[in-house]
Amino acid sequence: MNKTMLIAASSLIVTGLFAAAIKAGSGSVEDEIAAFQGYFNKKFPEVALQDYKDGVNVLPQYAHRRANWEILMEFPPYELEMETAREEWATPFANGKTFAECFADKPPATQYPYYDAKSDDIRTVVGDINACLEANGEQPIKNLKNGKIARLVAAFKEQYNGEDMAIDVSSGGARKWYEKGKEFYWTKRGQLNFSCADCHVHSAGKNIRGDVLSAGLGHTTGFPVYRTKWAQAGKPWGTVHRRYQGCNKQVRAKPFAAQGPEYKALEFYEAVMNTGVPLLVPSQRQ
Amino acid sequence: MNRRIFLKGTALCATGFGLLKSVVAMALEWPKTLFELEDEAEAVKTLFGDTPISESADVAIKAPLQAENGAVVPIKVHTTLADAESISIMVEKNPSPFITTVNLRPGSSGGMYSARIKMGQTSNVTAYVKAGGKVHTASQEIKVTVGGCGG
Amino acid sequence: MAFVTKMKIKKGGDGHDVLCLVKHPMETGLRKDKKTGKVIPAHFIEVMAFQLNGTTVAEALLGQGVSMNPLIGINVIGAKSGDKITVSWNDNMGETGAAEATVK
Repeated sequence: MNKTMLIAASSLIVTGLFAAAIKAGSGSVEDEIAAFQGYFNKKFPEVALQDYKDGVNVLPQYAHRRANWEILMEFPPYELEMETAREEWATPFANGKTFAECFADKPPATQYPYYDAKSDDIRTVVGDINACLEANGEQPIKNLKNGKIARLVAAFKEQYNGEDMAIDVSSGGARKWYEKGKEFYWTKRGQLNFSCADCHVHSAGKNIRGDVLSAGLGHTTGFPVYRTKWAQAGKPWGTVHRRYQGCNKQVRAKPFAAQGPEYKALEFYEAVMNTGVPLLVPSQRQ
Repeated sequence: MNRRIFLKGTALCATGFGLLKSVVAMALEWPKTLFELEDEAEAVKTLFGDTPISESADVAIKAPLQAENGAVVPIKVHTTLADAESISIMVEKNPSPFITTVNLRPGSSGGMYSARIKMGQTSNVTAYVKAGGKVHTASQEIKVTVGGCGG
Repeated sequence: MAFVTKMKIKKGGDGHDVLCLVKHPMETGLRKDKKTGKVIPAHFIEVMAFQLNGTTVAEALLGQGVSMNPLIGINVIGAKSGDKITVSWNDNMGETGAAEATVK
């Protein structure tokens, strides 16, 4: 075997070992987080853990386009909507209560999504916003993908900008959901037969039809997202689950329901992998 | 009359910015013809007449080498030239290359103009700075790709 | 229809960079409504003026080539703490908007 083949083969083995380490299930969650983050640290040595809050913009392969995002960030387009978002968050319900009161005993945004033992379920910010509405005699929001729900999530989460993600996976129930999300992440799906990992781990930084694939590390820390592309169609905001649906459709896989068990598990897993990455909400993307 | 004041930058300078202010109050006529020209060279001639034009290192464009989305391309023009009177931005391959211009009150407004513009395809983008009786330019190609992962 | 107009002032160059962001469709008049098939009429900002303590220091002319939710930025020289900077604009349909901010 010549040197090139040796290197190629060994990197394949490393990737395979890495994938195996990730999927082990018998190891500790801390080990799996370390393996996941260590992989990206090796792949993009110039990118610090905290930088991953900026998504694809920090990847060296995105250098030609980074100025686009940097200049936009001097006065992000989403600022036109954040006043509305904060007003919507602060406006009392008919009974006089507010979202802030509902969330007073909830975890900080850096610990969302969280496992709720009583319902044996994953609670997301979207879910708790609607629960709050229902508990106070208001109609829950039906559109779970863009518009008002996304603005409300943004208004809640932005209060924790700069704080590091720290999801609690200590309980058996949480671990169960973590494993479900992990399985989803590493399972190939769709006609194109891609897993989340195929694009966002193995091919992070590579081109795909004129775009650059973002790293899986940091995913969800910037959501809800405000996208130029979606703004052209009049629906600039997107929740995590809106993006998951789009991604699944792009590999020609059946999209799952927003706030359904599959995407809640996936969001939970991704949030755990982001341990130590700070929140930056909302995020401006193309 | 409004159009003549706009097109002849020297008149603007000579009569003072105060005239423009009162013109604004009278609802400045928006130069429709200029915005509808389909050729950059024609737009340049309409705007600057016979004023000498040349590339200058004193004009800089800050813009991405590749746009994320042609609908919103952020352009920043900087110039170190004193007393810049106007800064204009044109996109060679757009159906109407003349995109925008800013008239500056020399001494009160520094040499900077920032705008988010639409680009239909990969094209040269040129900044034209009128100062000291001349037009100074800088150009940069900005790539615009279509398609990609979208969701 | 409310056209949110926001401003940002920060130190830049020899003075202050003043950025103005407006929620405005900047319609070219070349698009068709997908549902009705009818052309969406052109609707875009034409003039945006920047004033320092009531005196115009810069005036921008915009057209359909400027992006939706446009940002226009200029640099103001000689603004002191407490000075007022205003931005006002009008579009081709006679709509107007304005914003004011005080230099820190």
